[in-house]
Amino acid sequence: MRVPDCSVDPFRLCAANMLDAKLHGGQVRLQTEVTGILREGNTVKGIRTHNRNTGADQEFYAPIVVNAGGVWGQELAQMAGIKVGMFPAKGSLLIFAHRVNNMVINRCRKPSNADILVPGDTVCIVGTTSSRIPLEECRNVAVTPDEVTLLITEGMKLAPRLASTRILRAYAGVRPLVSADDDPSGRNISRGIVCLDHEVRDGVKGLITITGGKLTSYRLMAEMATDLVCKKLGVDKACETAIHPLPGSEEGSYEEVAKKIWENPTTAQKVAAARMGSRVSRIRSTDRRDEALICECEQVTMGEINSAIDRLEASTLTDLRRRTRVGMGTCQGEFCACRAAGLLAKAHGCIEKERADIDYFLQERWKGNFPIGWGDTLREAEYTQWVYKHVLGI
Amino acid sequence: MRYDAVIVGGGLAGLTAGISLQKAGKKTAIVSTGQNALYFFSGCFESIQEPTPEILSLFSEAGVRVHYTPGVRLMPMGTFKESALALDDVSLFPAPDFGKKVLIINFMAYHDFFSSFLAQGLEKQGMECRIRFLNLGDLAQPELGPNQMRAVQIARKLDDVWEKVVQEVRVLLKDEDTVVLPQVFGLNDASIPERIRQGIPARVVFAGTLPPSVPGIRTQNLLKKRYEVLGGTYLLGDRVTGAHVYEDVVQNVVTKQLDRHYLEADHFILASGSFFSKGLSSNPFKIYEPLFELDMDYDTDRNTWYDPTFANHQPYLGFGVKTDAEFHPSRHGVPVKNLYVIGSILGETHPELGSGAGLAIRSALQVTQLITGKP
Ligand SMILES: Cc1cc2nc3c(=O)[nH]c(=O)nc-3n(C[C@H](O)[C@H](O)[C@H](O)COP(=O)(O)OP(=O)(O)OC[C@H]3O[C@@H](n4cnc5c(N)ncnc54)[C@H](O)[C@@H]3O)c2cc1C
Ligand SMILES: Cc1cc2nc3c(=O)[nH]c(=O)nc-3n(C[C@H](O)[C@H](O)[C@H](O)COP(=O)(O)OP(=O)(O)OC[C@H]3O[C@@H](n4cnc5c(N)ncnc54)[C@H](O)[C@@H]3O)c2cc1C
Repeated sequence: MRVPDCSVDPFRLCAANMLDAKLHGGQVRLQTEVTGILREGNTVKGIRTHNRNTGADQEFYAPIVVNAGGVWGQELAQMAGIKVGMFPAKGSLLIFAHRVNNMVINRCRKPSNADILVPGDTVCIVGTTSSRIPLEECRNVAVTPDEVTLLITEGMKLAPRLASTRILRAYAGVRPLVSADDDPSGRNISRGIVCLDHEVRDGVKGLITITGGKLTSYRLMAEMATDLVCKKLGVDKACETAIHPLPGSEEGSYEEVAKKIWENPTTAQKVAAARMGSRVSRIRSTDRRDEALICECEQVTMGEINSAIDRLEASTLTDLRRRTRVGMGTCQGEFCACRAAGLLAKAHGCIEKERADIDYFLQERWKGNFPIGWGDTLREAEYTQWVYKHVLGI
Repeated sequence: MRYDAVIVGGGLAGLTAGISLQKAGKKTAIVSTGQNALYFFSGCFESIQEPTPEILSLFSEAGVRVHYTPGVRLMPMGTFKESALALDDVSLFPAPDFGKKVLIINFMAYHDFFSSFLAQGLEKQGMECRIRFLNLGDLAQPELGPNQMRAVQIARKLDDVWEKVVQEVRVLLKDEDTVVLPQVFGLNDASIPERIRQGIPARVVFAGTLPPSVPGIRTQNLLKKRYEVLGGTYLLGDRVTGAHVYEDVVQNVVTKQLDRHYLEADHFILASGSFFSKGLSSNPFKIYEPLFELDMDYDTDRNTWYDPTFANHQPYLGFGVKTDAEFHPSRHGVPVKNLYVIGSILGETHPELGSGAGLAIRSALQVTQLITGKP
């Protein structure tokens, strides 16, 4: 049976949305945590933030604050003294080193463990599991060996070849499901979009929450939230995000985009076009040196890294990974971590921080590697241990 | 072809065994698939706190220049690590604060040498640092492309023009007492690092780059050459694919390229390395030695193989082939009489022999003694 399934590159999607917001005059503050909601009587006036890079605390004021904190939306609402009951559902998935399929493959059954195999970029992903976890654990979710075994055995039923395909990484996230308002026990979960006007619901002005839903419905969620904001601000204008493509997606496929810019695009240029769409033409390439590969596995050039630092607010290796896929390939950040850290250190003039950033990055990569630590993954892991501890001295 | 000993794996352990057996008048062959851990070598021999005369002559006779100076070495990221025995490229200091003013030399468009991290590390020790970039294209034509700026390619160029680097450094040098250079010198000529030291009127320190390691490859080449000069047969690029074991004795091994020909010998030495070199293999259910299916010393519960913290010691690194005091392994509980296991495939099952290079060399020398019957 054929269903109209598609897959999306969530990294590119987030970066493109961020860029779109910036192009429309918005400001984006990464590495900035909301630590408090400023409330005067029954009105929310703004937020208090902490910048993790600079350590600076700052307050921002606005007539409306939108809580889009995903599963952490409960904590954010609590800061304003409002109760939103989240139902955190952990899901684990496995990322395979290359594609075994070119279209989404689903099990034809009620939603269950490991029933979907999704191709994406150079990899394919099998998922997912689902288990309720306490809210406190959301910040540090880990994949268990049992989940790995379950994903492999179930995944093999979708594509037997998965049994002999190298697993790159195990990954876990938390779905922001919401317990229905009239059912605090959380048994009756809404899988739909939840848009809460806290003025109507709780008598607190100036705050709305948008949560629940799915990635698939993210644009609609945003439309619902902005429509509500507009209503409160007295703006009467129709939402346009459904008709205007995101930056970089105005023109055809990545192959067409690459051909428009380069006569004979290199592999690195083609994959960059797939990552960025037409925005790829803005990659800094003042001289040949910008073409130097920083990450061989994912074909990321120095020009692309520097563009991400300049234009996409990448201030840490993790940001860079999300913007460019640096460190996400088969070697899981073997050499590129150091090279990219060198470029970040140069751009920000902060060497001390970058050193610590490498440690953090290696730990993050290991977190998704040890649950699948056998075969080539274990070989790479042993190599990484020697190279970083005994050869580089980290 | 019948040998006194056939050695599987031509890394540091296999080469050490091969060289010392040839020296003792034995006829040996080494079969080795290719890259081994020396390609990534830091230049320091781990866990050799006091080298025996035997270890020192192993190197000096091969033309590998080592020095024994217990102290600390400068690591590529600007930290320091204790070491005792090192290649001549690597300077060992009594303490990290070895200088006052440092000139760090890097190459333009070279991303594998971390001059700014080095400077930061040295500044922490109270040193004043200046970083200068040389343009390799000015020194050697044709210029390397942006993706050829890797240690070995650069070293190949520099083998011919290293003297120009010395001149450039002399011009750049002001009142610095130390010059730090990347470890990209002397790929095919072990004397170059020393000659650079003589040419520059300051202390010269070579600091590591991202792999592959130029001093490591040079060391591998010199040891291999020494082995062949002694009459050993090094079958490079071949792979042992199987073995015939009759009762408790290895009869012969089969290689990929020799096709139906067997390598027969009185003794067999397994020096095939650990996971990285595929001497050990693993799947979700077990860790095993793929060639002979030797009995292993490890915990079968996969949950115990790792420490979730990357920086901590990883239990899997300790797993290895189980052997008796004479390095004989067993299969299904039965000891194999004429097979010996040496090097990193032993994991941490012989802690008294140390780890890394120390383990590889010591286990190889001990097995040589057992085979030759000489103390
Ligand atoms: C394993 C798994 C598989 C999934 N598969 C699919 C799928 O196939 N299809 C699909 O459509 N959906 C899927 N989903 C669901 C989808 O990923 C989520 O619904 C969606 O990402 C939610 O988006 P969001 O913006 O509401 O929240 P999030 O993406 O969680 O974003 C919330 C953001 O708020 C930030 N934040 C939180 N607290 C603070 C604070 N105090 N200060 C500042 N920032 C804060 C967080 O860092 C985060 O960046 C899956 C989810 C999981 C876990
Ligand atoms: C990346 C890395 C860096 C290291 N750096 C250092 C360091 O700086 N200092 C230090 O003291 N130690 C270091 N070590 C530890 C290192 O393992 C030892 O120092 C030592 O070099 C190991 O030697 P070995 O001969 O036992 O194994 P290896 O060097 O791994 O050699 C084994 C060889 O056997 C071959 N082989 C395997 N199976 C077969 C087969 N079936 N047929 C034929 N050939 C086969 C492999 O291809 C390989 O060439 C490092 C290890 C790694 C992995």
